[in-house]
Amino acid sequence: MSSFCTLPYLRFGLIGIFLSSTILSIFPIHATPLIPGLGGKHPLDERGIGEVLLGELRCGACHADEYSQDFHRQGAPDLISVGQRLSPEYLRRFLADPVRVQPGVKMPDLLAGQSTMKRSEVADALTHFLVSLSGSPIVAKPNPGNARAGRILFHDIGCVACHSAQLGNGSKEVADGLLPLAHVPIKYDHHSLSGFLFNPHQARPSGRMPDFYLSGDESRDLAEYLMGGKSPSVKPFKVSAELVDKGRAYFREFNCVACHSLDREPPARQSLPLTKLNPSRGCLSTKPKDAPDYNLSDIQRKAIARALTSSRSRLSAGDAIAHSLTAFNCIACHARDDYGGPSKEFLPHLKTSEQGLGNQAKIPPGLTLAGAKLKPGWMHKVLFDGESARPYMHTRMPGFGEANLGFLPALLAGVDKVEIAEFPEPGRKERGSIRSAGHKLIGDKGLNCITCHNFNGKESPGFKGMDLLTSYDRLQPAWYYHFMRNPAKYRPGIVMPNYWAGSKGARGDILGGDTDAQVWAIWHYFSYGQGAPTPSGIHNPGSNIEVGGVVRTYRGRSRIAGYRGIAVGFPGGLNYAFDAATGTLSGIWRGDFVSVGWGGQGAGSFNPRSRSINLPRDVSFLQRFDEKEKWPLLPVMTKENPVNPDPLYPRNLGYRFLGYAFDDAFVPTFSYRCGDVGIEDVSVAGEKDGHALLKRTLKFVAPAAQTLHFRVIAGKVEAVSDTHYKTPDLKLKLPVTTTILRRPLGADPALRELILKLDLPKGETRLLIDYELLR
Amino acid sequence: MNCFARTVKSGIALLLPGLAWFMVNTSGEEVGDWWGTAERERAYYRLVNLPIPQGLIVEAGAFVTLPDNRIAVGTRRGDIYLLGQVDEAKPTPSFELFATGLDEIFGLAYRDGAFYVTQSCELTRVTDRSGDGRADKFETISDTWGYANYHEYAFGSKFDPDGNLYVALGLSSSYHSRALFRGWAMKVTPEGRTIPIASGLRSPGGIGPNEHGALFYIESQGPWNSSCSLKFLKPGGFMGHPVSFNWYNYAPHLKEPAKPESGTRIVSEKEKVKELVPYAVVFPYIRMGRSITGYVVNRTAGKFGPFENQIFIGDYTQSLIMRATTELVNGVWQGACYPFREGLSTGILNVQFTPEGNLLCGGTNRGWPVRGIKPFALERLDWTGRMPFEIKRVSIIPNGFKINFTKPVDATTGNDPNNYRVSTFTHIYHSGYGGPEVDKSIPNVLVAKLSADGLHATIRLDQLTKGHVHEFDLGALRSRERDELLHRNAYYTVNEIPEG
Repeated sequence: MSSFCTLPYLRFGLIGIFLSSTILSIFPIHATPLIPGLGGKHPLDERGIGEVLLGELRCGACHADEYSQDFHRQGAPDLISVGQRLSPEYLRRFLADPVRVQPGVKMPDLLAGQSTMKRSEVADALTHFLVSLSGSPIVAKPNPGNARAGRILFHDIGCVACHSAQLGNGSKEVADGLLPLAHVPIKYDHHSLSGFLFNPHQARPSGRMPDFYLSGDESRDLAEYLMGGKSPSVKPFKVSAELVDKGRAYFREFNCVACHSLDREPPARQSLPLTKLNPSRGCLSTKPKDAPDYNLSDIQRKAIARALTSSRSRLSAGDAIAHSLTAFNCIACHARDDYGGPSKEFLPHLKTSEQGLGNQAKIPPGLTLAGAKLKPGWMHKVLFDGESARPYMHTRMPGFGEANLGFLPALLAGVDKVEIAEFPEPGRKERGSIRSAGHKLIGDKGLNCITCHNFNGKESPGFKGMDLLTSYDRLQPAWYYHFMRNPAKYRPGIVMPNYWAGSKGARGDILGGDTDAQVWAIWHYFSYGQGAPTPSGIHNPGSNIEVGGVVRTYRGRSRIAGYRGIAVGFPGGLNYAFDAATGTLSGIWRGDFVSVGWGGQGAGSFNPRSRSINLPRDVSFLQRFDEKEKWPLLPVMTKENPVNPDPLYPRNLGYRFLGYAFDDAFVPTFSYRCGDVGIEDVSVAGEKDGHALLKRTLKFVAPAAQTLHFRVIAGKVEAVSDTHYKTPDLKLKLPVTTTILRRPLGADPALRELILKLDLPKGETRLLIDYELLR
Repeated sequence: MNCFARTVKSGIALLLPGLAWFMVNTSGEEVGDWWGTAERERAYYRLVNLPIPQGLIVEAGAFVTLPDNRIAVGTRRGDIYLLGQVDEAKPTPSFELFATGLDEIFGLAYRDGAFYVTQSCELTRVTDRSGDGRADKFETISDTWGYANYHEYAFGSKFDPDGNLYVALGLSSSYHSRALFRGWAMKVTPEGRTIPIASGLRSPGGIGPNEHGALFYIESQGPWNSSCSLKFLKPGGFMGHPVSFNWYNYAPHLKEPAKPESGTRIVSEKEKVKELVPYAVVFPYIRMGRSITGYVVNRTAGKFGPFENQIFIGDYTQSLIMRATTELVNGVWQGACYPFREGLSTGILNVQFTPEGNLLCGGTNRGWPVRGIKPFALERLDWTGRMPFEIKRVSIIPNGFKINFTKPVDATTGNDPNNYRVSTFTHIYHSGYGGPEVDKSIPNVLVAKLSADGLHATIRLDQLTKGHVHEFDLGALRSRERDELLHRNAYYTVNEIPEG
């Protein structure tokens, strides 16, 4: 296998015949087929290049032989939907002269040797036939995206590994061997292009255009950018039945089905197998006539000839990997052994959100020993399911399709080997202490790994590097062991220090400083999975709920409202809590709304974000009440007596919570009953003399006239007037009604409870109470 | 791999429904290794990520399919999202926030334009009166249960044919019953009556019908339960954990059972405690999940492959999906569980079939050990159309078992009794946390007879043992195409043996 090899002969020519269209005039023409991987730092010799060309040009479609390689399998673009993807006018031009319309294209000119008139006739008929396959032709649809965002995507996520980047001044870089995109605005419209970018494998199952897992919005943005601000050029197109029939006949005549399989079309005609080909004739002649013209360069022809004349055989696993990585241009991003890796033109486009982690955070990881490094399950997820463990890296690992590269993980696993590392399984008794040691080593009281690594979805206080807890699922233990013993050997340039170069680990006080014991202790600690206790130095993020512009209602347990608590926050910063278990207003506070416990197992319990004025949570209403009796209080559970002694406390007192409803401003009205009296309870925020005011309205619906007792508040309550009462924190304004301000039986002498005696007539009654916050 | 007899040495033992335990601070717990079959499984059942828009946290706890084919997702954070386009080949589902501010949703049903949401505090009817796409009315249908302690989760069912809903209530702090009806199952009638129907639940992880329409629930490994299991929720039944007997006074229509004796076997104890309902399907701990959770019956008319009318069930800790089948023998439910698909990305809390017959799986890894590495995820399992070679179903016959396969077994391996390896075990029925596999035996397979079409075999054993899980290892079988079984094991819980 030769070392790096750049192929200047793949550069497309800059002089040529220009088409009349101004758009087409920017194309360099007569470009030979462009295989981006062959323009990069690949390891292939002439025969290897020829093998890749045989595959990429789909030579086996007509010249099948028994030595077809895995990386040769590739489907040509889907034609069933081509009419809905591409402009018919573009199709016609492209079919008439593919190389001029899309320089570097791998599709051959099938009309080589035909007159201009004949070319035009065939292309026209084929266009009608192809458009007819999709039922209806493309209709230009607006699909507005953000071109600026698209430009950033194009340059950041990895498109420029295969396509020319745009310089700051708007001009394209002239990069060797990259695929031009100048034809795109006349080929697609915005809608069809974004659809293609969203799911490229649907149109091009070969996976050579990989799937970057764009969202719908990203696809639109990127399409907008690639269309260059141009309006769709698609013109109305009417399919002619006569031309469809002619086109179908041409489709068969030119054996298009060999690459583009279509149902109901007869199978492709096979030509001589590759082993029988004369390398100087047919497609491989310098001027093909009556044979597909690939516009091959002399050097490409020579490479193919070398591949054909070498003894044909299956490639070794190592060679098959090198060929595959070249064919799919994996080597544009990834180095393996002594080949591949980003070019100097590509490097500036590799970005990271964690600059401090160095190039390792920007440059996609090397593939040297990848088969020994990654567990098969993870490798499949990365290659085919869009998984990534490097959220800080802007370049995305795209998907090439399991149907295309499904063979690669097994090849890598078969070739890549590291020295076996004995992985001692701790006994049951030792397991806890070993893992505790790992836990300590990772944290800031140990080696402080968490200063550069996130852990279990929680952010590092320093650099937000790769989440350590993914290690166990991603890595094979032997590779992990060797990497930990010498990180720079496996990832040159890594900023990770080497803690375990010798037999003594960095922390002599943990596991006696034994290197192997420490390395394995960390591995065992990782093996907890997501249950691994959080290392020292990583903190659970708090979760605050902000009110914003509309009222927020939040249910959850709370120390101020019980387990059936409900918090309500108003824009402007007044908040209250309601205990739905007893029907009480149980807390009022100003300022920010609530923080909630969503860390760890947190069930979302809420806490006011400033000091709350807490009110008793005993039931508020009683139908039957003897004023000489004690107001029935909420049962109290203690550590000594944890079982609820009166589980039907509110229910047996007639209380039943019915729920709540929002008005248009999301203000909740709570509904509940006391016996047969229905109660609707709504509060809104107000202000008085610079003090926050909770204005509460209670609506009672009584089926018959009756008396209802309402315990409004309890605590250090004093009467200011018949309608005004005060506590140290609150001032209450009540309507004129019968009130009882009394010392609760058995309570502290300073305490009072305020009970209203409401004589309800049959039907509706309203009661308004203002709660003025004095602080 | 069986892990037993861990004792809580320090810290606080914490349990989630469907979850075993772990300790905070300086200790942790095994999550168990993968089965190692994911690479082969993916050829038959493809795992498709449903991207969640950036900024949203969707810790799915419950699903329901709406008449317009959208899927509603209720979350641990108390939100309800409505998802559209979940079945696209390359999905980018739409997420509309329908309701927020609820309290840990583990049950979601839908009828006549209303959601019935089981949240920790109550069963709530949630509607959008204004038609603006946001919920604006929350009516309490039932809150007739206590909710006052840590770990008191509530799991809700879909509607049964009579319009009833069911709620399974976990114990207080996982070990106690300190608030009303903790450790009970409740029936909520269409009229809104709430009726306690069974005691003895420990830490439910899901509730709903089995493939025959009988009401089942998921029980978690812990005291009186040495493995996770599917149990029949028999009206008036006692599900095995006696700490909730203190509320029989509040359920006067039910008779308090005799207290079971710890350290026995359930097969003998159920003869003494008539209300005691044995585990219908035991999921051997670690080998078949560690914290089994929500389940759903496959009624996709073949869209999900060869396992029509079977139960699909998630596991939180190991991020995998299993299958189960049940049958009624001598009036007692029992059945088998089977490995299905591993390698999901987060802890699975619930599953739901989509309109196109794919299996939507969702959950979170928050708070308990989980094998998958994502904090939360929605993933879809799609049948690729390729037929896996699997043990389709195991059912009991008088002297042995009938084993159905998804593809014809070749006659040479399929008629050889030596290729049907069966072993058995049971658990100690006791108040301790979890338990070992005991009373192990290896019955002899006397006869194996493969059907002419190769799709089922009957095996005759020299003994069947009541109360034992019968574990099958059929790794020596080959299909007619020489495939190995995708999963070689199945686990059948024998409570009863049919008459000959």
